[in-house]
Amino acid sequence: MTAYLIRRIIGAIIVMFAVATLVFFMLRILPGDPIAAMLFDVEDPNAVEFLRTKYGLDQPIYVQYFKWFGHLLTGDLGQSIYGSRMDVTRTIAEALPRTLSLAGLSFVIAMIIAVPAGLISAIRKNSPLDHIVTIVAFLGLSMPDFWFAIILIIIFAANLHWLPAIGYVPLAEGFWPWFSHLILPSIAIGTPFAAVIARMIRSSMLEVLQMEYIRVARSKGLLTTRLILVHAFPNALIPVVTVMGIAIALLMAGTVIVENVFAIKGLGRVLIQGILNRDYPVVQGSIIVVSAIFVFANLLVDILYTVIDPRIRYD
Amino acid sequence: MSTKKFDLSTDQKQEIKDQLRDAYDFDPKDPLFGLTRENLSGSQISRRSVLRLMAVSGTLTAWHLLPGAKKAFAQKRGGILEAGWAGVGEITTLDPARINQVLQFQITSSVLSGLTHLNADLVAEADLAESWTVNNSATEIVFKLREGVTFHNGDKFTADDVIYTFNRSKDPDRSINGGLLKNVASLEKLNDYEVKFTLSAPQASFFVKTTERASGRALTIVSRGAIEELGPQQYGLTPVGTGPFRVTEHTLGQSVKLRRFDDYYDPERPVLDGVNITPISEPEPLAAAMEAGDIQLIGGNPVAPELVDRFMANSEIVVDIIGGNGFQSVFLNPWRDPFKVPSFDKPVSELMKEKGFKVRLAIAKAIDRDRFIERAQFGRGVPAFGTINPAMGFFFDENLGETSNQKFDAPAARKLLADAGYPNGDGFPTLTMKGGPPVRRDMQIIADMLKTNLNITINVEIREFQVLVPEFQKVDYDMLRIGSGGDFDPDDGIVDFMQSTSRLNGANRDKSAMAFGHFGEADVDKLGDEQSRTSDLNKRRELVQKVNRITSDKVASAFIYHPVDTLVHRKEVNFPSRSRIVGLVDLDRVSFT
Repeated sequence: MTAYLIRRIIGAIIVMFAVATLVFFMLRILPGDPIAAMLFDVEDPNAVEFLRTKYGLDQPIYVQYFKWFGHLLTGDLGQSIYGSRMDVTRTIAEALPRTLSLAGLSFVIAMIIAVPAGLISAIRKNSPLDHIVTIVAFLGLSMPDFWFAIILIIIFAANLHWLPAIGYVPLAEGFWPWFSHLILPSIAIGTPFAAVIARMIRSSMLEVLQMEYIRVARSKGLLTTRLILVHAFPNALIPVVTVMGIAIALLMAGTVIVENVFAIKGLGRVLIQGILNRDYPVVQGSIIVVSAIFVFANLLVDILYTVIDPRIRYD
Repeated sequence: MSTKKFDLSTDQKQEIKDQLRDAYDFDPKDPLFGLTRENLSGSQISRRSVLRLMAVSGTLTAWHLLPGAKKAFAQKRGGILEAGWAGVGEITTLDPARINQVLQFQITSSVLSGLTHLNADLVAEADLAESWTVNNSATEIVFKLREGVTFHNGDKFTADDVIYTFNRSKDPDRSINGGLLKNVASLEKLNDYEVKFTLSAPQASFFVKTTERASGRALTIVSRGAIEELGPQQYGLTPVGTGPFRVTEHTLGQSVKLRRFDDYYDPERPVLDGVNITPISEPEPLAAAMEAGDIQLIGGNPVAPELVDRFMANSEIVVDIIGGNGFQSVFLNPWRDPFKVPSFDKPVSELMKEKGFKVRLAIAKAIDRDRFIERAQFGRGVPAFGTINPAMGFFFDENLGETSNQKFDAPAARKLLADAGYPNGDGFPTLTMKGGPPVRRDMQIIADMLKTNLNITINVEIREFQVLVPEFQKVDYDMLRIGSGGDFDPDDGIVDFMQSTSRLNGANRDKSAMAFGHFGEADVDKLGDEQSRTSDLNKRRELVQKVNRITSDKVASAFIYHPVDTLVHRKEVNFPSRSRIVGLVDLDRVSFT
């Protein structure tokens, strides 16, 4: 297991290196000049060249790459070049807890919806309840999250005045302020995620429920609840967990859009703002962190397999 | 003309004309412009003197003279105002050395101070300066500084801070605004509370522009101690100044928290205990937050036009609209087919023989501005046929809409297009119109009009600002939807956009292949320079209108509309008319009712 973990971590680092390199060069191919746009109305014609030189943007791209990579190896992600000049590490460190809060709560909401919906749908296959769950799941999948987010804001913030429309409050300032600001964006992100998981649980459960050991257990008179929750559900989880690993990408993509709608400065908003501003260090730093989250979440999923099914061994 | 523009009574118009006439009644050769040294010295400059100085500097417009409603509300002290800053994801910096957007001035004006500040009556008031004197040639100005003023960190304000700010602003490594000080030959400390500016040439706008606390920037006083202690990065987030509010917290992209500065030199201000500012980039969440009461005032970028009617229908929300100042248009690339016109230095009758010019004119004539304003701007705006906007009052040519070559005429536009070889749009290439995300609706409506009236297809392409501006400056587009805001003087349109050497006329183009950017015309260059120098009101107006007409008739661009300025707040907020300066949001006198 240890050897496997080491292999996977090395693999993860290689993936992150490849992603970082790709992003570095792709950003340079994109049209747009951060310095020219930032100083478009500044009267001094030398100001643009001065800043371009200062940030090393006048050097060949490969020189910029090696310099950036050298700094990266020392843990220095650089500074924002658009306006704030803030350390990218600090920007990410401020944004990450917000995104993790949002993603975490979205995940919990998604599970609260998906597990019972998937189980009911599988147990009551082809019943009206199954059809309703299926239709709702497809609705959840079909709704664009930014549209759903705006609908939630209009209903619960603008009309009912139950919840705040925008913003974020850290957990340190109290559970309700934190929760009330996160519940709407979490529902917006969690709903399509729940739909995917619910459909996966349904199909996986249907497969497990056809297996011989379930029929044996049923014929021995085991209680249905125990049969489902103790014998069938854990075995149905392996493919579900696999999909959850991939769906984390869906979750992260959801935060990128929804954070913008709810004015939450999480990693997604940092990334969008960085791309819009062509703020190269910010985009590069954010992408490295996002890819790290994705790669290590999938590593965690692989480890979870061994917990769910002790027969799985990586050695 | 649009149905929702803002008309004045005959008396008000006459009053504006009288004030303009008086402001421009001076001998241009007189270094003090008909004012006395006493007029220019003291602790504030009278309204009459300020108007004269603005006239001299070419910045006086009828907009400055519009009578504001003198509203009086019962106000209570204290309370925290929740404000949303529209159309922006983060306030990247508040360091005056690095700001260049109005949405940043709106905040720094409440946190930092200048030597002077204009109030809504256009009186240049003493801010950190207590009084000043001017020499006979108007090139030396001695400011006596206010004593007993402290920065938010407790440091005393002295002449050294003015010198430090000046030197910092001149250093390109630390400031992007050094160009604003190009007329300042030197700055000298006379003693702890006196400084002397020596100007290279008389600059009438010095008090109302350069030393002004909001837009001055290069002379917005910063704290040396705080910069050294915090470092430039943190100072950009939480600048320390001497203004009515101090920044207690700035979480980039999340919120800026301002709190009352108890030691502010004017004990009457600020009225509020604090202001929390949240940047909100999307219009719908902004509207919902306003309706829900999560925010009580909107600052930042202009409120999206589609929200204005919605806010007006809400009895809890106040919408205050005044004339804005700018122009919005579609630029047509004269170096690409089918708009190709390699030289505009010909009479219109000669240009009319050229295929490229016919197509340009056909496009301009096929846009129904009134209908556009109704559909795209929800009825708020004034049709544009040139850069000179109605807020410039005296310079605005009210007849241009009726007489310009660009006047809407669909049959004539179709005929021009047919004469150019595209009868009923047949064979016309599919073109791309580029523009930023906020003008997506504008572009779709223009493309729709061109399809309806000319049967041609224009694809709309949304470009981010960081991409659009460099492409505009490289003249890399077929059609490009862009415009200008904050134009108080004819120079802002003519000198900045319409002359061959204008800084916004293809500055980064391939100059070996393109003699000018989007437009170049010898008369516009010559008359544009002349109007900028002349201080004879009537002569300048004549020149400005002449230039404006040339750019209109020769289709420098297809001019579309002049926008309005909209302030939105909830009714429990008292936003005094004294603070209602177009484009700015002065918070120090704002209170709850």
